[in-house]
Amino acid sequence: MRAFGYTVAGSPAEAVRIAARTPDSTFVAGGTDLLNLMRDGAEAHDHLIDVNRLGIGEVALDRRRLRLGATARMRRVAEHPAVRREFPVLSEALLASASPQVRNMASIGGNLLQRTRCGYFRDSASPCNKRVPGSGCPAITGHNRGHAILGGGDHCIATHPSDLAVALTALDATVGLLGPGGERAVPIADFYLLPGSTPEQETAMRPGELITWVDVPRTSVAGHSRYLKLRDRATFEFAVVSVAAALRTRGRVVQDVRLAFGGVGTRPWRDLRVEAALRGRPLTGQAIAEAGRLLVADAKPYEGNRFKVELVQRALVSILSDLGGLR
Amino acid sequence: MSGLVGQGVARVDGRAKVTGAARYAADSEVPGVLHGFLVMSTIARGEVVEIDTSQALAHPGVVAVYTHRDMPRLVLPDFPYNRRFIPMQDARVHHNGQPVAYVVAQTLEQAQEAANLVKVRYRAEAPVARMEDVLDEAFLPDMFRNRPNEIARGDAAAALERAEVRIDRTYSSPMQHHNPIEPHTSTAVWDGDTLTLYESTQGVVFTRNVVAHAFGMGRDKVRVISPYLGGGFGAKGPTYPHTLLTAAAARLAGRPVKLVLSRAQMYTSNGHRAEYRRRLQLGATRQGVLTAIVDTSTAQLTRIDEGIYNGSDSTLHLYACPNVHVRQMGVRLDLPTSSYMRSPETTAHFGLETAMDELSYELGIDPVELRILNHNTVNPRTGAAYAGKHLLECYRAAAEAFGWARRHPRPGTMRDGDEYVGWGMATETHTYGWIESEVGLTIGLDGRATLRAATQEIGTGTYTVLSQVVADELGMPLDQVTTLLGDTTYPSASLSAGSSTMPSVVGPVAQAARSAREAVIALAVADPRSPLHGVPAEQVVAEGGRLFARGDLGRREGYRDVMARHGRAVEVLGRGPNTPGHSFGAVFVEVRIQPRLGRLRVSRVVTAHDPGRVLNRRTARGQVIGGVTWGIGFALMEHTLVDPDTARVVNPNLSGYLVPVCADAPPVEALFVDRPDPESEIALGARGFGETPGTGVPAAIGNAIYHAIGRRLRDVPFTRDKLL
Ligand SMILES: Cc1cc2nc3c(=O)[nH]c(=O)nc-3n(C[C@H](O)[C@H](O)[C@H](O)COP(=O)(O)OP(=O)(O)OC[C@H]3O[C@@H](n4cnc5c(N)ncnc54)[C@H](O)[C@@H]3O)c2cc1C
Ligand code: SF4
Repeated sequence: MRAFGYTVAGSPAEAVRIAARTPDSTFVAGGTDLLNLMRDGAEAHDHLIDVNRLGIGEVALDRRRLRLGATARMRRVAEHPAVRREFPVLSEALLASASPQVRNMASIGGNLLQRTRCGYFRDSASPCNKRVPGSGCPAITGHNRGHAILGGGDHCIATHPSDLAVALTALDATVGLLGPGGERAVPIADFYLLPGSTPEQETAMRPGELITWVDVPRTSVAGHSRYLKLRDRATFEFAVVSVAAALRTRGRVVQDVRLAFGGVGTRPWRDLRVEAALRGRPLTGQAIAEAGRLLVADAKPYEGNRFKVELVQRALVSILSDLGGLR
Repeated sequence: MSGLVGQGVARVDGRAKVTGAARYAADSEVPGVLHGFLVMSTIARGEVVEIDTSQALAHPGVVAVYTHRDMPRLVLPDFPYNRRFIPMQDARVHHNGQPVAYVVAQTLEQAQEAANLVKVRYRAEAPVARMEDVLDEAFLPDMFRNRPNEIARGDAAAALERAEVRIDRTYSSPMQHHNPIEPHTSTAVWDGDTLTLYESTQGVVFTRNVVAHAFGMGRDKVRVISPYLGGGFGAKGPTYPHTLLTAAAARLAGRPVKLVLSRAQMYTSNGHRAEYRRRLQLGATRQGVLTAIVDTSTAQLTRIDEGIYNGSDSTLHLYACPNVHVRQMGVRLDLPTSSYMRSPETTAHFGLETAMDELSYELGIDPVELRILNHNTVNPRTGAAYAGKHLLECYRAAAEAFGWARRHPRPGTMRDGDEYVGWGMATETHTYGWIESEVGLTIGLDGRATLRAATQEIGTGTYTVLSQVVADELGMPLDQVTTLLGDTTYPSASLSAGSSTMPSVVGPVAQAARSAREAVIALAVADPRSPLHGVPAEQVVAEGGRLFARGDLGRREGYRDVMARHGRAVEVLGRGPNTPGHSFGAVFVEVRIQPRLGRLRVSRVVTAHDPGRVLNRRTARGQVIGGVTWGIGFALMEHTLVDPDTARVVNPNLSGYLVPVCADAPPVEALFVDRPDPESEIALGARGFGETPGTGVPAAIGNAIYHAIGRRLRDVPFTRDKLL
């Protein structure tokens, strides 16, 4: 890790100003991902701008939405009574993430921007298109158990590792940004990009932009939501497959359903066709199975992750059966 | 004797450890120390063509960058240095992640960054990274450490041919890494022609010998200090290149140098458990009596090493089978040399104990019964009956505590809600070693005892148990005993690996303490100023730090009184031989599985062990819990991934390489038979034990999975995808 400069910014505007005039700079919040990446040589920055004292760490609920300040800690959000009551999927996704120690440090903004766990990406001596564009993707022929079956291509098949992002994707969150060009809000569906031929470009953020908040609309469906995370040990591990689901039924008929998937896509994965296949129909094993088949219709599995095609469908059955009281 | 031995005495070093007072190797504060950092190869096979150190040398704080061109020429040591080359002696690259340059700087951060700035150009050859690509080139290596790799008893082929029932299965286990939490570290301090090393090692004496050999120095010129270890699990048993390179760098720099390996570097610097393929053929009578075992394994070797570190010992000795044929083969890959890791025999034993379970179903005989039927009573080392083997009692005790009698034998029949419940078991056993040891014991003028031995505390409780032995033999309270370990200025004692510390060191310690007690008693009875004057020495007993005349307890005085009057410390040495052997046990496991999601948890474990005499219930139980937990890691998650093209480790960190966390560790009920083994009388009846618990766990879990859902898994780790 090379030596770097460090400035504590006092306001969002100041943070953005410093970023704009400081080459090779980036923001640091909890540092739980950034510093590891810098140590491993997967990222290098000359200057870090500390965003922990910008006054953007509040969690607030108003009539229309829940607002998560970008520097709110994972733990605070997970334990917030309004979050637990009205957005259980967010709380569950956060509590299923990392460890208590990491959650005490890590921020919401940093969580959304954490980098993939692909081992080749994190090893500076391996080729990797995401780290060094054009150097190749060894995961395709190498170890790819943790990798995506959806949304990948010849350039990159890495998954986005955030559990929170999966839950936010299901709930139609919006990401608030402040940059040299001013403020803007980006729906989460547009926030994460598919790798295409530029896997190094992961989000719609422009250079120097700061995440200031994440909004989640208040909906009745969000109150009936769950997060199912399947992983390779009991805790403290990223998802092999995860599902964030929110469901509202009347009688047995699905009024509203929101679904997003982790561990299977190159970004938090949402496929509106899957939801459409369920909406307006009675929630039955048959209906869920059909929706699941739709989800994986375009899946492109690799040697190490073939099982995810089946597993993600079963995970969908499991979570919707639970939410819908099918057992 | 006051009877401390056997009790669950709390660790005497526990407080120092939890308060941070315990100084580990990298905590050493050496004035003027420089920090080293290794530059590792990024190819697996080929040659260094050019190393450009100019940018690194220009980096602030950098003192030197050494390459193979600068390094002093060293002599290749033998075992326990277990690589057939020393890095940076020439341009050759034998594996990915091999040291090619050594940066020395004022701070660790400077050294680290400068290491990134060293530019190495290679001539690379395509490596062979995968066993499956070269299995047809498997060969039978020569003897390894005086052990042949082919061992036959009777005529297994013929017996197999004639057997009424046969099992023929293949099993595999992956490459695994030890992952002690404390990284390897070495601080080298030269003073003229003598060298002091602050080292994280499981064997200060071994390290000293290897370093002295490599540098062509007398052993008395090298001192190795390692008072505490943050875990070793075998990774710190042999001596590794980073130690030699650090000593060399410090000599070149003319200043002390401290090196701490990064976690990623530990995946190529200190050995690993080799990947294995194994074919097991069992032949038996319809009544369940084993008539043949053929155990043919293939291990991952390197182009230059042929060491087989995971012996099929249990195949040879665990069951009473007249016809056994073991072949330990290997294939050559461009990977780092493997080594001993956490109960090395587990690797082979996993196959044997799974095959035994498969045989039990084939025969329709309960797996415990099958093992009892084939119980072996003959000690293979002596050819005579074991003097104290209580494995049958282990089966009975553990089965009863577990509730095995309530098991429905048919797979898939035990349910609890949406979970399938599976009960499986396996025998546990591991070899333990004996290494000649000597210890020194001093009774000071204050009447306190100080034990010195160049063995070490690797987290298993050596300080505590040896203190207990000293206290008991001297009849002294525990708090008047100080045990000093991990320094080659003390008498040479056992490596702490191969479960050999207790069988090797307890005898000498007990003997030293007895001699010291006798010496002090002799002083007392000969001294007219002592109340014990004139009492026959054999009539004097020691207890609570005092000496008493038997039958006349009024005549007594403290160790301290005798010593103060005498005015000179009593110093004695203890030694005495023991023999290697095996410890035994049984492990019973309950798993709960939701096959739809491939969800599995180990919900309950009961063990019963026969380690001879239990010296400390608490530390022995600690070994069982640790062994079971690592066994769960072996069975369910541990797996080092190597890229097929580059032969580079893809997951060299604790995020990518999963080890069990607390939530994976079930309650463990640890029972002990606890009967002294006459064959280890010198060690108070205690045998080596540390590596035995856990040896049966991977098989027991696999057997429980089969019982739960009727699916036989033969390739660890048993990940979720295999349960769907
Ligand atoms: C051992 C371990 C296990 C983990 N397990 C999980 C898991 O199971 N599930 C999961 O979801 N996550 C997991 N994580 C990841 C963890 O959640 C992230 O590391 C954490 O959320 C990052 O937050 P941070 O505040 O520390 O970000 P930092 O490390 O400070 O920053 C991360 C990135 O975000 C950028 N950044 C931070 N804040 C802002 C901002 N406001 N605006 C713009 N850019 C910003 C930084 O520049 C950097 O690029 C794990 C992490 C560790 C270390
Ligand atoms: S999957 Fe993506 S991140 Fe991983 S090696 Fe390929 S390009 Fe790099």
